[in-house]
Amino acid sequence: MAVRALGWLAALALAAGVATAFGYAPREAVQGNVQRIMYLHVPAVLTAYLAFGLVFLGSVGYLLTRRPGWDRLALAAAEPGVIFTGITIASGSIWGKPTWGTWWTWDARLTSTAVLFLVYVGYLLLRGMIDEPDRRARVAAVVGILGTANIPIVHFSVKWWRALHQPATILGPEPSPIAAPIAVTLLVNWLAFTLLLLYLVAKRTEIARLEDLHAG
Amino acid sequence: MPDNWSYVFAAYGLAAVGLLAYWRHLRGRAKSLAGRDPRSRA
Repeated sequence: MAVRALGWLAALALAAGVATAFGYAPREAVQGNVQRIMYLHVPAVLTAYLAFGLVFLGSVGYLLTRRPGWDRLALAAAEPGVIFTGITIASGSIWGKPTWGTWWTWDARLTSTAVLFLVYVGYLLLRGMIDEPDRRARVAAVVGILGTANIPIVHFSVKWWRALHQPATILGPEPSPIAAPIAVTLLVNWLAFTLLLLYLVAKRTEIARLEDLHAG
Repeated sequence: MPDNWSYVFAAYGLAAVGLLAYWRHLRGRAKSLAGRDPRSRA
């Protein structure tokens, strides 16, 4: 019941996010309306970071306690994490074509994000390859912890290397230079994606619990 | 700079399709598990 309520809350927040992205946020002066893709791209990557943070939490929790609930949390967060990373890459690529003139470039931020995506796709494939539950959870926990090391590489890649991708405009060391309506729209969409992530994790955790029950 | 609305709609459409497909997958999986006896092995 609580999961269903969370789902409705997430749906309402997503509707509010789309309404602010298309109805409240102004047309960006330099990029035009194509900049509205950023209200999808930026919240998606921040939500992916959060999802992989939950994978880290679940993995550490499992290795410390050996309780399957922690492993289920890690699995439940990894799947939407991969989807949000996929959305980040796809939306960034679609934005890049009219803005940079190319769908893809081997820039440090883009490459490290692609690596992040592949690491967690590998994490999910690995889980599918091991039948014995304890061994699967143990191996997955190690990969889940190691995979998280990629997040600071993705985030700071624009500082550490010369990159085409712009430096951080939010979550950066300086006060954000973006205008208030743009910041508010980003915030609304970030909140909506976070609620959606929490809903998906809660639903997937419950499914994983039922799967374990059926597997005996 | 031109508005490039087709790119905007493509990005949002792709995201919506991906998220909706995953949500439908979860809903289907939950339904199939809920209708099964836990004593029978998957």
